[in-house]
Amino acid sequence: MESLKNSDIFNRIQPHEYMRRFIDQKVRPDGRLLDRFRETLITSNVISTANASAMVRLGGTTVVCGIKAEVGEPSIDTPDQGYLVPNVILSPLCSSQFRPGPPSEQAQIISEFLSQLFTRQPHLIPLESLCIESANAVWVLHADIVCLNYDGNMLDASLLALTQALCQLRLPKAEVNEGVVVADKDDTFQPFEMTRFPIAATYCVFAPDAILSDPNDAEEQLTKETLTVVMDSDGDLLHVHKNGGAVMDMEKMRLCLHRTRERLAQLKPLIQ
Amino acid sequence: MSRQELLTPEGLRVDGRRAQELRRIVAKTSVFSQSDGSAYLEQGNTKCLVAVYGPREARHRQQAMADRAIINVEFIVAPFSTTERKKRSKNDKQSLESATFIRQTFEPVILLSQFPRSQIDVYIQVFQHDGGVLAACINATTMALVDAGIPMLDFVCACSAGAIEKVPVVDLNHLEESADTPELTLAMLPRSNKVNLLELQSRLHIDELQDVMDMAKDGCIKVHDTLDQVVRRNMEHFIERMNA
Repeated sequence: MESLKNSDIFNRIQPHEYMRRFIDQKVRPDGRLLDRFRETLITSNVISTANASAMVRLGGTTVVCGIKAEVGEPSIDTPDQGYLVPNVILSPLCSSQFRPGPPSEQAQIISEFLSQLFTRQPHLIPLESLCIESANAVWVLHADIVCLNYDGNMLDASLLALTQALCQLRLPKAEVNEGVVVADKDDTFQPFEMTRFPIAATYCVFAPDAILSDPNDAEEQLTKETLTVVMDSDGDLLHVHKNGGAVMDMEKMRLCLHRTRERLAQLKPLIQ
Repeated sequence: MSRQELLTPEGLRVDGRRAQELRRIVAKTSVFSQSDGSAYLEQGNTKCLVAVYGPREARHRQQAMADRAIINVEFIVAPFSTTERKKRSKNDKQSLESATFIRQTFEPVILLSQFPRSQIDVYIQVFQHDGGVLAACINATTMALVDAGIPMLDFVCACSAGAIEKVPVVDLNHLEESADTPELTLAMLPRSNKVNLLELQSRLHIDELQDVMDMAKDGCIKVHDTLDQVVRRNMEHFIERMNA
């Protein structure tokens, strides 16, 4: 058993004060500057049983996304469109703060966020390309995002893993033959066209006015405010989400947008 | 698939292995920061990950035992791990059964009496299912428990074996498993040669049982050698860094 250093004791008793001492020096407890994102590692095609997969390590947060394509019936008002169904799994395996049981609120929020992002921005994934036969059969992409190690900022990591997996996706060519969907005899694949991809950048506000990029677990628990900006690869703003009770002035918002642009430049070469 | 294709007359199996060859094992420990111990193990194309938390305070006070720790095992199969997407809840019968087997395998091996009133949580996540899942999970759990520093009597090494056309083969993959081959999973303590878990769920002629069991036992010894090397190498790195 290692003995606790005085600084660890201080961290346990007064975490907010501990953090404040660091922020006043313009640095964070893990040594990062306020505007730095953690080291990002992306690996593709890690799961061979999935149609496409990707693993993302954002600092300590590790996330694996596996996409499996199934055939389903389209909805009546969109007969030519397939679906993307993201499902985020936060289990007790990734951190002791998660209890076993049905998906927690946090997991459901992230799943819904991802689902809405792709539904509301039809130019990201052409849902029509998922159609096999109009009003009869479409591809349903089940994207299961499993968190392996939770160290904050699940949203950024999940979107990154999902995006990378979608870029790698290749669907078998299928056609409807006498009421049954069959794969093309020659076993050909059609690559999934993703011309523009979204990236998310999350910031948290440590009262009263320090903006921390890419919060880790400890920082997430100490701040109530988070702001997520989603931008696509062409630099267009797709989604801005701010939650929390305090107010934020325009200067800080602009700072976040500026940092997001830098983050986009960092991530672009990593995603193919 | 007919039996003949699973084992050619020259003695080669579907993936090019011989009857007594194990698949390549890759094992890594300490892969995550949040858990007390973690291990990632690949046996051929079967990939699984185990995170161990504990010993920590028992979640349900009523379940805590005054003289020893309790083990809680959760077995989760990722929906993308099989060729057909199947969202298996972790409370479905197969997962519960595998979780129970693993718990029963480790209960006599972990020195539970050293941690009264505590709980050791083992979370197993299967990423890719290509046969020999129970064996791979047991091996990975051993590594994760070692990584967490939980005292055990010995390693628990597991291996699967079967018989194709009366020839005993070791370490079945998914194709061989689903082709009506009897599959026997064996977990043992390598140093004392004691068998911890034996599971056979298909029909096997009693005359062949001994050969298949011996094949599985040899497989377990080979697995033990690999896992032992990984643990020793990790300790060497650790000692180097501590002395630096």
